[in-house]
Amino acid sequence: MAPLIEARDLTKKYGQFVALDRANLKVEAGRIVGLIGPNGAGKTSALRAILGLTDYEGQLTVLGREPFRDRTALMNDCCFIADVAVLPSWLRVDQAIDFVAGVHPRFRRDRAAAFLAKTQIGGKRRMRELSKGMKTQVHLALTMAIDAKLLVLDEPTLGLDILARRSFYDALVNDYMDETRTILITTHQVEEVENLLTDIIFIDKGRIVLDASLEDVATRFAAVAVTGDRLDAARAERPFYERQILGKVVLYFDSVDAGRLAPFGEMHTPSVSDLFVAKLSGGVA
Amino acid sequence: MNTNIWLIRREFWENRAIWMIPAIFGTLLILGALFGQISIPRLTTPEQMHEAAAAYQVIVGAMFYVVMSVYATWYLLDCLYADRRDRSILFWKSLPISDAKTVLSKLIVGMVLIPLVYYAVADATALVGAFILSIRARASIGGALWQPDVWWQIQVLWVYCIVTTALWYLPIAGWLMLVSAWAKRAVMLWAVLPPLVAFILERAIVGTQVIGHVLLVRLAGLPYVAFNGANLEWTEGKGIVDIDGVPASVWHLINPSGFFTSADTWIGAAVGAALIVAAIQLRTRRTEV
Repeated sequence: MAPLIEARDLTKKYGQFVALDRANLKVEAGRIVGLIGPNGAGKTSALRAILGLTDYEGQLTVLGREPFRDRTALMNDCCFIADVAVLPSWLRVDQAIDFVAGVHPRFRRDRAAAFLAKTQIGGKRRMRELSKGMKTQVHLALTMAIDAKLLVLDEPTLGLDILARRSFYDALVNDYMDETRTILITTHQVEEVENLLTDIIFIDKGRIVLDASLEDVATRFAAVAVTGDRLDAARAERPFYERQILGKVVLYFDSVDAGRLAPFGEMHTPSVSDLFVAKLSGGVA
Repeated sequence: MNTNIWLIRREFWENRAIWMIPAIFGTLLILGALFGQISIPRLTTPEQMHEAAAAYQVIVGAMFYVVMSVYATWYLLDCLYADRRDRSILFWKSLPISDAKTVLSKLIVGMVLIPLVYYAVADATALVGAFILSIRARASIGGALWQPDVWWQIQVLWVYCIVTTALWYLPIAGWLMLVSAWAKRAVMLWAVLPPLVAFILERAIVGTQVIGHVLLVRLAGLPYVAFNGANLEWTEGKGIVDIDGVPASVWHLINPSGFFTSADTWIGAAVGAALIVAAIQLRTRRTEV
């Protein structure tokens, strides 16, 4: 089966500034993919291109379509929440539901209503009267009621408090995700999403640094805590990053056989956030 | 209901001023008719009565037309900018609606539906006002304001004005929407400044006034192209008559054959269409303020 999203040499320039520099990535169906990078790494540019909001160079297909040329058709099968604050302030909750139900062939009003019934939000309220957390719930209700194949979330929890964040991600995983759907999330807060992701894509300075499933990560990467005397021997296995914690040095290895590393010390699979820091800190410290 | 209808409804949800401004304006006029001082000279001849009815209707209509022009201008200038300013464009673009449909829905609201709303409210205001004035000034005007043929003529005039206005001002509307889709801030300034600067530069450097002339014709020329004033004159005791001395009707006033065969009309419409296509292109590409 063809990948849901496939980018080859995807490039986006703003004047002199290169936001995406020949980026290659693939997203398969049924995955929850985190597009992770520091601020200004090109995450938003990549999403904008994928969602057909911007022109680009290179090749990009999303659900078999060219996003920029085919945005209208693409939006039948793909929906996105680009930050929570984008529902217009004058819009009433019931108007929002009526409108999306009117224009979206895959919107299921009963599902949106059921989701909203669990909240305290009345249909006659305007967006400007709602808190950020409530707006998120409305936006999520609208989006999750759409039978879309691809859901794209761009920093979805920016500006939300911890309770609202937690309920956002809980709703996403429990009420929305199933094997027919694919979710692509960007965030610069890795800790928040690492438990729900199946795949990670690291992006830095417009380039894809890593594109792997978490199973791959577990087999490919190892972090080994090494004590003083074995350090030189361990370093000979060419770690790509090291850092010091509590008197030990933790070395990070990519694609080195576990049997060779085991003698150096305690070994574990790095967490996504550790791996992120390791990959993006660039070279051996 | 199809997407277009929903897009139109959305404009009415967002811009409640579309009907609130004419409603408030009409209410004020009716309050004026109810409580204001009125002194109307006694009307004696049927011609005088007829003319008073026509003048009354035209004045009410003209007041609404002026308010409508100001509001519609503002609406067109704001409509595409507003979505970018509050970033709701990202929500609208997450729905399967083409940018062309969105832009055209706003154009139709600005050039057809807003005028129709003002037309309906102007009519209602004129009728209620005529009723009030007829009672308050019954000694001097009696039933003068109730002239069905005048009322029908005003309907023709309104429809004609809406059609000709939409066509004649299409390039202005296209320009306003282009600015609305493009400007990062100060849409009003961007709408006015470039033509103004072009006019000044042309006069200062080239010494000609082509741009100034084109702008003047476009902004102020509609009455000359769409209406027929030359063959009408005012005669004591008879009111406005045509060259044969027949009292003028709306059919003398309007000049559809002149308007629809004028090159200016269609050149303007073509320019307007090009500007709207450009606004759609910008809407497709620009999502930031």
